[in-house]
Amino acid sequence: MTVALKTAPATTSHVKPTQLVSGTFVTTDLKRTRRMCEELLGLECAQPEPGTLLIRERGHQPDGPLASRPYWVLEAREVPTIETPQEMLNHWGVFVSSQAAVDAAFEKINARQHDFGLGRVQKPRFRHGSYAFYFVDGDSNWWEIEHRTPELLYTALREKGDQH
Amino acid sequence: MSGAEPLVQPELLSHGTIECSDLAATRRFLNEFLGVDVVRPLPEAQYLWKGGPWSVVCVCVPDSEAKEQGPQNRFKLSVPRAADVDAAHAAALQHQSTYGIRKVGPVEEKAGIRSFTLQDLNKHWWEITNVTQSYYDEIFAKGR
Repeated sequence: MTVALKTAPATTSHVKPTQLVSGTFVTTDLKRTRRMCEELLGLECAQPEPGTLLIRERGHQPDGPLASRPYWVLEAREVPTIETPQEMLNHWGVFVSSQAAVDAAFEKINARQHDFGLGRVQKPRFRHGSYAFYFVDGDSNWWEIEHRTPELLYTALREKGDQH
Repeated sequence: MSGAEPLVQPELLSHGTIECSDLAATRRFLNEFLGVDVVRPLPEAQYLWKGGPWSVVCVCVPDSEAKEQGPQNRFKLSVPRAADVDAAHAAALQHQSTYGIRKVGPVEEKAGIRSFTLQDLNKHWWEITNVTQSYYDEIFAKGR
């Protein structure tokens, strides 16, 4: 996929960030979350300390195909209870290479729903130019498996500027 | 992890999401205060980003208030130096009412990483931190 990194320097804003570096969520079972991220979502995980899990896409290791490319990290923290249950509008997106890959992912995840302790697994559908489906994990965290055509990639939309 | 192929072969962790009840006011906060880039490709949504191909999709929910999030569901923005964290914290306190910032936490430091959190006008949490990607590189290199 095309990776455009066009980003305006934050010179006049009050905060001057260089990177949106992480997003965080909580789980009641870090081991279950790690298994889902690795064996279901195909992501790389590392546990820097008890109760904390870092997650990124594979390939960023020094000899990997994405070495030296920027990435962001999802940070999961283990908690006794989920105090703020999440809803579908609060989700994490995982991009795959084609519509067929979305369909294949749906079939596999739907078949293993109970094995991974998942809640609902919705069927794929087109929405706003993306072809995607959602599922919810055992901690109410929602995940979207999506594909977009090149002109509708997030980076392409940046180049187009405001449409509304 | 086991040696089996994962069910999904992802190319990118592409996005997270937030909700807002006022696109214009939210964009002003994101652009003018937080310093992230924003584009509006859809009437009901704007996408924000900084420093990579991933985005945060901000969906407008005009007929209902944005769902309040807890501080453990937040996004982190990296600034270059510890002093930039302090400057951002001072700015958050100074401009809190201008941008509808609901809460500003104290600056904290742990293992050389300085940070603070704030809750924005839509009840979402942000962390301003001097953590860098190299910090995460080292953790993943250890491979635990």
